[in-house]
Parts: sequence; C-alpha cells; structure tokens
Amino acid sequence: MNDATLIRKSLFRNKTRAILLVLSIMTAFLIFSVLGAFSRALNSGVETAAADRLVTLNAINFTLTMPYAYWGRVDQVEGVQAVTHASWFGGYYQEPRNFVQSFAVDMESYFQVYPELVPIEGDMETLLARNDCAAIGQDLLQQYEWTPGQRIPLTSNIWSKPDGSRVWDVELCLVFDAEDQDVPTNYMMLQYDYYNESLAFNRDQIGWMILTTGDPAINDQVGRDIDALFTNSPAETETSTEAAFGQAFLEQLGNIGLILTLVIGAAFATILMIVGTTMVMAINERTKEVAVMKTLGFSPPRIFTHVLSESVLLSLLGGLIGLGLAALLLVGVSGALAGQFPGLRMTPTIIGQAVALMILFGLVTGLLPAINAMRTNIVTALGKD
Amino acid sequence: MAEALYQLNNLSKRYTRGKESITIFSDLTMTIDKGDFIAIMGPSGSGKTTLLNQLGGIDSSSSGEVLFEGSRIDNLSQSRLAKWRAANVGFIFQFYNLMPTLTAAQNVELPLLLTNLSGKERKRRVATALGIVKIADRSGHRPRQLSGGQQQRVAIARAIVADPKVLLCDEPTGDLDRTTADEVLQTLQLLNNELGKTIVMVTHDPSAAKYARRELHLDKGRFLEAEAELA
Amino acid sequence: MLKQIGAVTMINLRSIPQRWGMSLATVLSVALVVGVLLGFLAMANGFRATVDGSGADDVAVFLRAGSQAELNSGLGRDSVRLIEAGPGIAADAAGDPVLSAELYVIVDGIKRSSGTEANLPLRGVGPDASALREGFTMIEGRMFAPGSSELVVGEGVIRQFEGFDMGQTVRLGSNEWRVVGVFSTGGSVFDSEIWADVGTIQNLYQRTGTVQSVRARLTSPEALAGLQAYVADEPRLDLDVTSEREFFASSAGGTSDIIMFLGWPLAVIMAIGALAGAWNAMYASVDARTREIATLRAIGFSGFPAFVGTMVESLMLAAIGGLLGAGATYLIFDGVSASTLGGGFTQIVFSFAVTPTALVSGVVLALIVGAAGGFFPAIRAARVPILKAQG
Repeated sequence: MNDATLIRKSLFRNKTRAILLVLSIMTAFLIFSVLGAFSRALNSGVETAAADRLVTLNAINFTLTMPYAYWGRVDQVEGVQAVTHASWFGGYYQEPRNFVQSFAVDMESYFQVYPELVPIEGDMETLLARNDCAAIGQDLLQQYEWTPGQRIPLTSNIWSKPDGSRVWDVELCLVFDAEDQDVPTNYMMLQYDYYNESLAFNRDQIGWMILTTGDPAINDQVGRDIDALFTNSPAETETSTEAAFGQAFLEQLGNIGLILTLVIGAAFATILMIVGTTMVMAINERTKEVAVMKTLGFSPPRIFTHVLSESVLLSLLGGLIGLGLAALLLVGVSGALAGQFPGLRMTPTIIGQAVALMILFGLVTGLLPAINAMRTNIVTALGKD
Repeated sequence: MAEALYQLNNLSKRYTRGKESITIFSDLTMTIDKGDFIAIMGPSGSGKTTLLNQLGGIDSSSSGEVLFEGSRIDNLSQSRLAKWRAANVGFIFQFYNLMPTLTAAQNVELPLLLTNLSGKERKRRVATALGIVKIADRSGHRPRQLSGGQQQRVAIARAIVADPKVLLCDEPTGDLDRTTADEVLQTLQLLNNELGKTIVMVTHDPSAAKYARRELHLDKGRFLEAEAELA
Repeated sequence: MLKQIGAVTMINLRSIPQRWGMSLATVLSVALVVGVLLGFLAMANGFRATVDGSGADDVAVFLRAGSQAELNSGLGRDSVRLIEAGPGIAADAAGDPVLSAELYVIVDGIKRSSGTEANLPLRGVGPDASALREGFTMIEGRMFAPGSSELVVGEGVIRQFEGFDMGQTVRLGSNEWRVVGVFSTGGSVFDSEIWADVGTIQNLYQRTGTVQSVRARLTSPEALAGLQAYVADEPRLDLDVTSEREFFASSAGGTSDIIMFLGWPLAVIMAIGALAGAWNAMYASVDARTREIATLRAIGFSGFPAFVGTMVESLMLAAIGGLLGAGATYLIFDGVSASTLGGGFTQIVFSFAVTPTALVSGVVLALIVGAAGGFFPAIRAARVPILKAQG
C-alpha cells in the first residue's frame, strides 16, 4: 500500500456518492468538449484560410455578381500569382431538400489557387476533356453515396436555361480531397463555360474571385490595386483576405462565442457547487480519522496534499470519462453534420484544455476541504463522538 | 540509575471557557524513565488524558516544559512534532481508531508510509508486528469484521510497527471484556519487558493498573504517588 | 397516516438549514439548468415569433417556380401584368389591384453591438407595399417619394444597426441615399428591412424590368386557391403562389430548429449533472437524519412518511431552483433584442421571448430532476430500521 492507495480508498469510501459526483463532473466535461469541438469546427474556415489568399467580391454584397471580364483584368494586376472565379450554382439533387453545395468555376485556375485540394480519382486531363465534367469533394461524394464517373442531374434553384429547364447534367470526372481534415470537401464544381453557355439570363457574370499573392506582406497592396481597377464602375469590388471574409461571415451568426461561454460557464458553476459542498461535507465526516492520521505522525502539509489529491483524482476520473464520451459522440455525428461543420472532431488542443481544466477544477473544489483537514485540532477531533 | 526519557517541568494547562478559566493542572513536574511502565489513574476530569496528550505532543501546554530525551518538544512546530511523533511515539486509543476502509495489514502499514522503507521491507515489518500481537491470520480483514479485542490488537501492532520509543495508551481496555482486556494488557507487558518499550497508560481500572510497574494518581491536577507491585 | 406524513415532512423541511451548503448547491444547480433551457427556448421562440408573425393569410406571394427564396427568383414585367389580371386580388378605392412588385438586394450595415458588418435587405417596393404589411405604421418622418433616392427604415434596423437614423445620408455601394422615415410593423421580419422605390433599385442595380416577387392582397384567404389555379392554367406564368404566412413558415423553420436542436440536448445533459447533485444531496440528507428517522420508527411511524418527507424535501428544493431559474431568465432575457442570419442571408432582428409555455417546461424539468433525485434516497429513508435499544 502507498499514498496512492490511501487516496483511492478515501475517495471511494462512499461508493454511491463517488459515482454520483463522477456523473456530475462527467456531464460538465462532456458539454465542454463537445461545444469546444463545435466552436473549433465553426472557426475552422478562418483557421484553414491561406495567409496569401484573397477574395474579391461585389462591394455591395457577395450575393451580387460581377462581369466575367473582371477576371482577365485581375490577372494582370501586379502581385497576383493566380486567380480563379466561382459562381454560386444553388444546386440540389432531384428534390429541393437534397441540397448540394455547388459552384461554377474555372477548373484549372481553381485548383491552382487551392493547392490543398488534391485529386484522388481522375485527373485534370480527364476533367477538362469534356465540358460536362464536374469535380466533386470526397465528403459530398460519400454523403450521397455516388461513385466516380457517375452522371448526375444537378438542378439549380436560381438559374434556368432558355427552354425553362433548370437541370444541368454532369459527370463526376474528378474526386478531390484534402490532407488537412479541417479543409471542407463537401461541395462540387461544374465548369463555368458549360454553365454559362446555357444560361437563360445573367450571362457572363461571375460571383467572386479568389486569388493568391504568394506573399502575405503584399496582400493589402494587391487588394487595393484590384479594387482601384473597378472604382466608379457599376460593380465596385471589395477585396479582403480569405480569413477576414470567413470571420465576417461567422459574425453574422451572432455572438456565438458569448453563448458558448455562458453555457459552459453555467455547466461548470453547477458542478463546482455540487462537488465543492460535497467534498467539504465528506471531509468533515472524516475529521476523527484525520486526527488519528496526525497522531500517527502525518504532517499537516501531507494531509493537505492527500485531500487535494483526492479531489483532483475525482475530477480527472469524471472529466476523462466525459471527454471519452464526447469523442465518441463527435465521431458519431461528424458524418451527418459534415455539411455545416466540416472537420468536426476531437483535437489534441481540446483534450489538453479539458485536462488542464480538470486539474484546476480538482484544485479549486479540494482547497477548502484540504485546509479544513490540515487544520484539524487533534484533541477536539478525537474527543468527538 | 535509569535514563530519563521524559522530563516535565512546571507544566500547566488551563482552558478558558467564556469568562471562566479552568485549570486542568498546574506546576506539574515529573520524570519518566526509559523502560518504565506507568499507569496514570484518577477520576474523570482529573486531567490524565490531557497529560497524555502533552506527552504525545498533540496538545500544547499553557506554561512549562516537556523534554524528551533532553530536548524540548513543547515548542516545536506542527510539522516537526508530526515527524517526531512518527519516529518516537505509538498511540493506542480506547476505541481503537482504525481506518475503516483499510484492512488490518494496511492499517498497521500506515505509520511506515512516513518512512523511506521499501514496499518489501514494509510488508516484513507489518508481518512481524502482527505476529507479536498474534493476529496475523486476520491481516486481510477490515475492522468491521473484527471483534473489539482483535481491533485493539491491530491498533497495538500499528503502534509498534515503526519501533517507537514510547507507547501512550488512553484507556486501552476501556471497551473490552475482562478476558480480552487481560490479553491486551499481557501484550503490553510483553512489549515493556521483552522489547523495552516505555509505556504510559491512562486507565480508571485498578486491575489494569496492576499490570504496570508504577501507579500514579492524579487528582485535581496533582499527583498522589503509590507504588504498585510488579505484575 | 396523513398526520404522520405531515409531521415527518415538517421535520425534513426544518432540517434543511442544517445542510444549507448542499441544499443551496442543489437549488442553484437546478436554477442554472432551467436557465439554460429557457434561454434557448426564448431564442428559438423569439425568432420564430418574429418570422411567424410576419406572414398574413390574405396576402399572396408570387415567386418564380422552384426558387424557394426571393433572392433566387426573377419575374419579368409581362408576368407582373398577368398577375395583376388574376382573380381574387383585392382592389383599392380607385379600382386598381393592391399589389407590390418587389426586388431586394443585400447591402451591408454595421451592427451596433459588435461594430462588424452584417447583411441587410434593401427592398425595392411598389407604392402599395405599406398596405400589404399588417400593422404598418410610420413612426417617424414620411414615406419615400417615388423614383427618388430616399429610404425608409424599419425600427429593428435602427435598434441593431448604426448609421440609419432619421435624416442621415447613407452610402450603399456607390449610391447615396437619405433616410426620410422610420416604420414599424409591430415586430415582424419587415422591421429588419430598408425600403426604397423599386424603380430606383432596378436602375441602380441594373435589374431594369425584373423583380423578384409580387405581393398581392387577396379578397379573402380562401381566394388563394382560385389564384393558384389561374397561375397553373396560364402557360406564360411559371410561378409558385403561396400565402405569405406559409412562405415565412418554411423559411423560419431552419434557424429555429437549429437552436432547439442544440438547446434541448444541452439542457438535458446539464439536468443529468444537476440530478446527480440532487441525488447526492438527498442521500446526505437522509444519512444525517438516520437517527431521527429510526427513533420515529421506534415510536410507531411507518416507513411511508419517511419516503414522502424526503420526496417533498427534494421536490421543494428543485422547485425553488426551477422558479429561481425561470424568474431570472425572464428578467434578464425577455425582450432582449438580438439579430442573426435568417433564411435569405440577411439579418433578422428578433427579441428573446420567454413564453408561459417555456416557463412551464422549465419548472417541469426542475420537478423531474427533484423527483428523480429524491426517489432512491427516499426509499432508503423508508427502509431505516427501527431504533433498537443500545446494548
């Protein structure tokens, strides 16, 4: 037997109580870990943004389009390494509720600007061989259980062809994926020409442009130069970094950070009170035993450490179980939510934060009981009934 | 001339309760020699337990000195006292005070956690102690599975396992029947005679006191001496 | 029996102060759980209320077939003329159909709360637009002049966004506008919009001749069916016709559902944590009074009063916590204004709404926690053996 055994036995003295406390602590850390993972996934767009990638939109709003001709002109701007364009297709598969995130892009330049997207089935050659070839991300492919090479009818809820039809038939010629799990692959691209040529209205327009500068230091200058090209035109542009754009979009959702903090705070306040008061009570019950330990020669600091270790152990026990459950839960839902929350998973950072919090929580809940135990007056305690 | 283990000089203990000041004892002076077996008797409230607490360093005095092997222990810090106790003192209580969550063997091992001995060495000492009090066969039992007498024997084993110089016993047979009490007292005698442990035993039972070498009577904080025969 | 129950219950309740630490912890933890649940409910209900309240039964909305949202839709002048001729559309005093062909674009505004940009709808409307929104009143200033670059803004916009106050000049894109009026529609979605003349919008945003939607007042809600049949039979019209209420119902659902999808599970998980706490506190309560209970049993009380007494104690603590949480949430959140992204990619301003139904849900949750937490300890209390004479 050693100190560790002593601590363990003291903790599980009252099995029911220990289990209930573990349960309480577990729920708080479950909430913390899951919400933390969601928060991280939401912000991942900002995280995975490349430092030298800029986005050019219609200055009024990103839902308005710009002339196709802008693309060629931006390519001429000094500092622009590669530039591509994309337009929102607004697609669905067979029924409106089968939403398919889709864009009409210039394929070659798109993959240049997004080098992190790597073909895993098919290649650029096969993709460009035919007009109706589309590139699809791995997550989206899996979501609908399509196969490479399959032909799909993609319906747009915005655009239509002169004959009134809104369906574009495409073949899944290329499947792409990214090494970094946080980079979303839940969308597909059709070739711009194929889309544009058959539009009944709004031809020769693009939604936005994405470009790389090669050097973050010149981002501002390049952005300004681009916007300067189009001032006082009907479609003025606004260029910002990819990260800034993502951040701005998130902020539209509202103060998510505050809500999460409040909820997590509430959860921890709850268990802090529950565990704290229970620990104080539990130590009070053992005051005679503490006194006996002191008579045996256990010094006050040692007793202090024992009690504190108990509460840290309890916290770690409940916390790690909660963390484990959270990991399982995340694995379970990440597939279903890949659309809105790409890369939803447990990360080492979250685990690290959780463990640090467990230890802190254990120290806080154990402090008062430990002080009480340390200060036990031997004579008074021994004299108790 | 026997060596002095304890020397108490002008020891006083007073309590204030509200406006009242209660004196337990004042100006107590006494010597306890090594190898002595003293029984301290007296009516309740006479201060015998308080005196024992002073000897064990678990209570402080109002004035005076307590010297152990020539050095003062009454002015040591809590932590120092804890260390001193671990090395030199073994306590035996009326109600055993064993840890309910530990087995007999684990209870006996407790004081050894304060030493640097290896696990193996600790186990050896525990076995020895349990052997001396003749309760080795119950080493895996929890206190609630043992009788009063058995629990007290485990407590004694715990008190001697670290080889302390003195055993301080507070009514060790107070909760036991006659036969068991005698067994326990015989064990104490053995520890005194054969292992040379100094024993100070507080008791209100005259027949228990007979097992000691000396009897001291404490009344209203003062000693009345009476010699007792060797049992 | 009743007297026994009453007596034991009183003993239980009177002893709560002795274990005030754990009792307080139970009360507060239940309060927090209820608070979280009600907070989410208030958000979801507030959002839903704003959007639901925005749709009238007797206004028909025309969109291009399959577009589902105004932004995706597009109708030409000819379509509008055909619609004007449809049956069941109410006429004004002059005999003209009450309808408004509308086009909206998204512009950026700066949110007061965060100082960051957010989407706002700039809706080009026809002259009848105000007549088609229930509860429309001009609370300041006047309507914009036709063909001008004047704006009127909804009061929600003023609350949540900077720079749109009365009389101010606003620059949207490359155009300058002046705010000449503030309107209110009693808290519906339209309060989050900025209106201007549809012709001006068409010109400035190069959409001459097209609109996105047409709103028309029906002679009665039942007239919708006739109008739908007319459109279906007319080969030159490829439109979806729904009542405005139905139109909003389908767009609100999404956000409200997401909020509830998050809120309920969170509240339930927190409730489990609080439950464990209450359970624990009740066990401590029973343990502390084991002697009392045993004595009562010796006197002749049966086990049932002990059961009831413990349950009552648990339920009471939970109920207090529930009421505390509900009250606090109501005081803090009810009426608080917020805005978030709605279906059309624009900000919808709404107010947190702590409804009576929600309050009831909260208290019910609290009581469930109390009952579940007290059950097993109560059984233990009932089983306390009669105090035996000590040997």
